[in-house]
Amino acid sequence: MLHRKESHSQAVHINRIRKTFGAFQAVQNFTLDIEAGEFVTFLGPSGCGKSTTLKILAGLLPQDSGEIRFGDRRIDMLPPNKRNIGLVFQNYALFPHMTVAENVAFGLRMRGWASKDKKARVDQLLALVRLEGLANRRPEQLSGGQQQRVAVARALAFEPDLVLLDEPLSNLDAKLREQVRLDLRDIQRSARQTTVFVTHDQVEALVMSDRIVLMNAGKVEQVGTPVELYATPATEFGARFVGANNLLKAKLAAGGAAVSATVDGLAQPIPLTTVSRQIGGTDIWCCIRPEHIRIGHVDSSSSKFEARVVDKVYQGTTVLIDFEIPGIERLRAERPASEAERISTGDTVQIGFERTHAVARQPAD
Amino acid sequence: MTAMSDNSIAPVRRWTGFGLLGKGLFIAYLALMLAWLLFPIILVLLASFQGKLEVTLSASDFGFEAYKSIPPAYWEAFWFTIRTALSATLLALLVAVPAAWGMVRGKLKGHRLLSNLVLIPDVVPQLILGIALLTVFIPLHLANSFAGVLLALTALSLSTGLRFTEALLTGLPDEYEQAANTLGANRLTTFRLITLPLIAPGLAIAALFIFMQNLVTFELLYFIAGPNASPVSVRLFSDIVDRGVLPYAVAMAGILIYVAIAFYTIVAIVLGPKYMAGSVMSRKG
Repeated sequence: MLHRKESHSQAVHINRIRKTFGAFQAVQNFTLDIEAGEFVTFLGPSGCGKSTTLKILAGLLPQDSGEIRFGDRRIDMLPPNKRNIGLVFQNYALFPHMTVAENVAFGLRMRGWASKDKKARVDQLLALVRLEGLANRRPEQLSGGQQQRVAVARALAFEPDLVLLDEPLSNLDAKLREQVRLDLRDIQRSARQTTVFVTHDQVEALVMSDRIVLMNAGKVEQVGTPVELYATPATEFGARFVGANNLLKAKLAAGGAAVSATVDGLAQPIPLTTVSRQIGGTDIWCCIRPEHIRIGHVDSSSSKFEARVVDKVYQGTTVLIDFEIPGIERLRAERPASEAERISTGDTVQIGFERTHAVARQPAD
Repeated sequence: MTAMSDNSIAPVRRWTGFGLLGKGLFIAYLALMLAWLLFPIILVLLASFQGKLEVTLSASDFGFEAYKSIPPAYWEAFWFTIRTALSATLLALLVAVPAAWGMVRGKLKGHRLLSNLVLIPDVVPQLILGIALLTVFIPLHLANSFAGVLLALTALSLSTGLRFTEALLTGLPDEYEQAANTLGANRLTTFRLITLPLIAPGLAIAALFIFMQNLVTFELLYFIAGPNASPVSVRLFSDIVDRGVLPYAVAMAGILIYVAIAFYTIVAIVLGPKYMAGSVMSRKG
């Protein structure tokens, strides 16, 4: 699959998967179509059902109802060893009594490959994950990052229909994690391997995915590209979970052609551009991303406020600044460090944001 | 603070009077404990070279006469014991490993009750087991036979074996087996290629303990043994009761100690020291 034009990967169709543990509904009516070669991330807080769904896909946990197909092949009643999936565990689960090469070759051995082909394939995979020369090491002799790459090579080796990654980056330190997530994405793209990635880390999801499935309390909240999820979160949960956000409690007010939000406690209405048709009723959250709040000269179409600087948090390239506006307790902005240098805590400055950056979302019940 | 001199840079730990006294006491405590543990063994070994329990330290008293005078019946009993102890150990583990796997991995209902039930033979006095087995064995013509002794030892070994293997499997994370499973291995292959190699070091230690236990089991076998099936422990006991401590009986006791030390050494060499000290039961990944 690496040097071939055709990918071995399959499209995956998941239809109305349900799973309960006693009275707890872990997964409710999960339906998703994944294209061949696509990288899909299940994103959500712990307990949202993402790992349960992954285990059901792998066959390690039986679903209560629902159907899974790889291409035309129905696999949901097959045991894990008959599904042809590659699973990378959170702690990698490399076999400690086997060498790196034996670990990578395990899936091939189970499929009865000739030893010559097996060796060639293992070499190819180790080159892909840049571990040439470590074939005869034992897992315990490798660093965490190297172990992770062996686990990926082992899962890719036998050309699985689907690769599942269960939070494979969570055991790596921050610096390495940044590197490995780009590596992982490159490997996935060059192999054109249908992949499902499970994580609670929204940055990982935004960086790596073709599409993200945002999950909460066993339900799918939103499915979309990283840009869609970040720019137009469908729900309050999405607006809060993906990226940082200011959420202001407001009421919709239609004045002629223009729509605006009347924020509780704030005299001046905030003009909005478009309001999603999904919103019924007038109670909304008015959401503004911290990076969209400007300081100082603001053009005339924007909302403008006199604000007092309450707190500054230095982050290296950017600074988080908390503002207080009469009527609004706290509004957070994220500005380049060079710009934030000019103001200090206690100052009163003019801030504002463009009308396209104020987004209305329906509150959760 | 008075111990600190002006030109010292790094803090240096100095022994105070109390510190030295404490250390001395601790060493004495350990030495006493070791003496208490090893005294009987050393006494028997010394006695075996002198042919009597009244040990002297004069070199002229040492010799191999006691060993040379061990009668053939004793050697017979010795080999009988080795054969039954080894066979029972192997048999028990052959039964215990799949049973424990079913109990731990199969998530069998009532698994807790079961694993407590199998402990009972271990905690009931062997005397009671011996009498019970005898009443069953007599009509089956198993008393006073190799098979009878083997079955009795296996019953005892099985209890220990199950306890060991259950702990080993519980200590082994599911992920290894799940990984093998998703890579295409069926249950049996997974067990053969992953589970068994990973618990093998622990199994070797289990075998060591069971074998040692079998080597010296006495109460249980006292009832089942007879002229055709006489383990060395029973033979030693009856001879000492009938005729007092004979030189060759002490020599035979010495030989049992050598066997135990040899077996322990073999396992220690095969596994390496990290598995022996503190009995780390499962291999870490």
